[in-house]
Amino acid sequence: MPVVYVNIFLAFIVSLVGLLIYRSHLMSSLLCLEGMMLSLFVMLTVTVLNNHFTLANMAPIILLVFAACEAALGLSLLVMVSNTYGTDYVQNLNLLQC
Amino acid sequence: MNLFTSSIIMTLLMLTMPIILTSASTHKNKSYPQYVKTTVSYAFMISTIPMVMFLYSGQEVIISNWHWMTIQTLKLTLSFKLDYFSVIFMPVALFVTWSIMEFSIWYMHTDLNINHFFKYLLMFLITMMILVTANNLLQLFIGWEGVGIMSFLLIGWWYGRADANTAALQAVLYNRIGDVGFIMAMAWFLLNTNAWDFQQIFAIEHENLNIPLAGLLLAATGKSAQFGLHPWLPSAMEGPTPVSALLHSSTMVVAGVFLLIRFYPLMEHNKTIQTATLCLGAMTTLFTAACALTQNDIKKIIAFSTSSQLGLMIVTIGINQPHLAFLHICTHAFFKAMLFMCSGSIIHSLNDEQDIRKMGGLFKALPLTTTALIIGVLALTGMPFLTGFYSKDLIIETANTSYTNAWALLTTLVATSMTAAYSTRIVFFVLLGQPRFNPVIIINENNPLLINSIKRLLLGSIFAGYLIFHNITPTTIPQMTMPCYLKMMALAVTMLGFILALELNSTTQTLKLDYPQNPFKFSIQLGYFPIIIHRLLPMMSLSMSQKMASMLLDMTWLENVLPKSISYFQMKSSITVSNQKGLIKLYFLSFMITLILSFFVLNFHE
Repeated sequence: MPVVYVNIFLAFIVSLVGLLIYRSHLMSSLLCLEGMMLSLFVMLTVTVLNNHFTLANMAPIILLVFAACEAALGLSLLVMVSNTYGTDYVQNLNLLQC
Repeated sequence: MNLFTSSIIMTLLMLTMPIILTSASTHKNKSYPQYVKTTVSYAFMISTIPMVMFLYSGQEVIISNWHWMTIQTLKLTLSFKLDYFSVIFMPVALFVTWSIMEFSIWYMHTDLNINHFFKYLLMFLITMMILVTANNLLQLFIGWEGVGIMSFLLIGWWYGRADANTAALQAVLYNRIGDVGFIMAMAWFLLNTNAWDFQQIFAIEHENLNIPLAGLLLAATGKSAQFGLHPWLPSAMEGPTPVSALLHSSTMVVAGVFLLIRFYPLMEHNKTIQTATLCLGAMTTLFTAACALTQNDIKKIIAFSTSSQLGLMIVTIGINQPHLAFLHICTHAFFKAMLFMCSGSIIHSLNDEQDIRKMGGLFKALPLTTTALIIGVLALTGMPFLTGFYSKDLIIETANTSYTNAWALLTTLVATSMTAAYSTRIVFFVLLGQPRFNPVIIINENNPLLINSIKRLLLGSIFAGYLIFHNITPTTIPQMTMPCYLKMMALAVTMLGFILALELNSTTQTLKLDYPQNPFKFSIQLGYFPIIIHRLLPMMSLSMSQKMASMLLDMTWLENVLPKSISYFQMKSSITVSNQKGLIKLYFLSFMITLILSFFVLNFHE
């Protein structure tokens, strides 16, 4: 296995840890989510290009599309929380009410 | 014979002259009220000729003028029946109307539409005459509806006032309910006797007359404000005082009683309807007398007094004494119209004050009105040898000695004592004591129009009973012998009412303020009858229609069944099922620890 995969895999792990461990801002976990998506994109592109996996040439672009959608979703949730509370502190979300 | 018929025709035609001459614009003349008044006075004088002819020769006339149309087998004509009832009632009604018109020249003097007012009064009088002299049911119905319409127009005379419009509408609606009974009776007579003429109806022997007589009883209930259809009469006091004096005391409200009196040959043999009439009349007289005990508006007290006397007339019909009821109609017209005119004089002098709690001390200030009021009150309660005595005492005596319903008799006696009680109340609050009105008014009764009209009715209240009673032909034999206590019963009950009321009224001067108790509240709110009937039924129908139209169809079926119910259900179930508390960081941390643990466990297992 080429060493570059280890590098990209490490980037993914770093972003994952950053997603799961954060202090107060919801925005930082969303950014780490983007980081995860980015590393996945790079890994997928490198794999497809190195192995001449021609039929999977579309896969990175599709991944990007879905990443964009989920980023938009996450941002809209952040904006809704921020509209209600003024900040995006995650400790505000301790009150679930329907 | 010629004198009889020509006098009657001249009387009736003279009354229509001021109306027909509208095209010659006499009604824009300033002295049109005087013209109408003198017309009515001349009509009265001419109509006494047939009355005297009838009293001294017993001559009855039927004038059958004009054949209008024949509808298959029904012949409709214009015919006048001038028998005992109509020939005596016409002069009485015309006399009272003459006095009231003279009074209303004074009362409505500052009204710009006084000519219009007199035209309405005259039209009312004409339709009342049509009703009284009708020989067939169609003509009677024309007169019946005519007095109803004129009552509506006259009650709502001051139409800028919302209460007056409501009262006029109430009068029309309640009268309409009675008209249903009238039309039912007309239809029954058309189907079963093929005629609307009284002669033919009375000549045929019928088997079961319950339906038409019940219809006529319903019509009398509506027109004469018996219990169940009574609220319009106290509300009709929104009209001017001359209207109250003419329509709602002497003439229009007796139309229902007059109808029942006309049909006495049919009612003589029908015990069911007589019992129903008796109970209805007894109920009415007691209820309205109880309501009159606590009213504070002088016109409403007199209106309830009218209603109570009408109940007494209906009771008289119920014990099969139509001629006594008719006598009471004639005598009652005099003193009741006079009572209303006195109240009009008081109201006008006190600058339109109608509340008796704000009157007082008028004994020395308005001497003639005071005299007339006291004599009217005494005549109303049946003081021996005044007018009311000849009819009222006879009625009570006959009721006491006849084989009748004991409850009805008892209620009539109680109502008689209540009559004395509320009459004492009027006298006490209006005339006696210290004045409670504004000091800065001019109390003046010095107008010849007012004085002459009240004096005329005053003489009538004192002497008319004697004159009428001793000149009419005896129709039913009055009960001559009865135990002493029964003979004295009416007088004793009246004295009891007087004394009790006087005591109570005197002691109210020295009481502390007490909150009203339930019987008081019952009496002053008219037995809760108008409140329940006028508001409950419309509220129920309107709220039911609102619920059906907007809530059932729109809200429920279109809005709530699928869309809102789905969202509501989802929300409720998610609240029930979810038990999270929103500790996101903790959840993420546990996720990460799980990942690390799994990494270690799965990689270093060996």
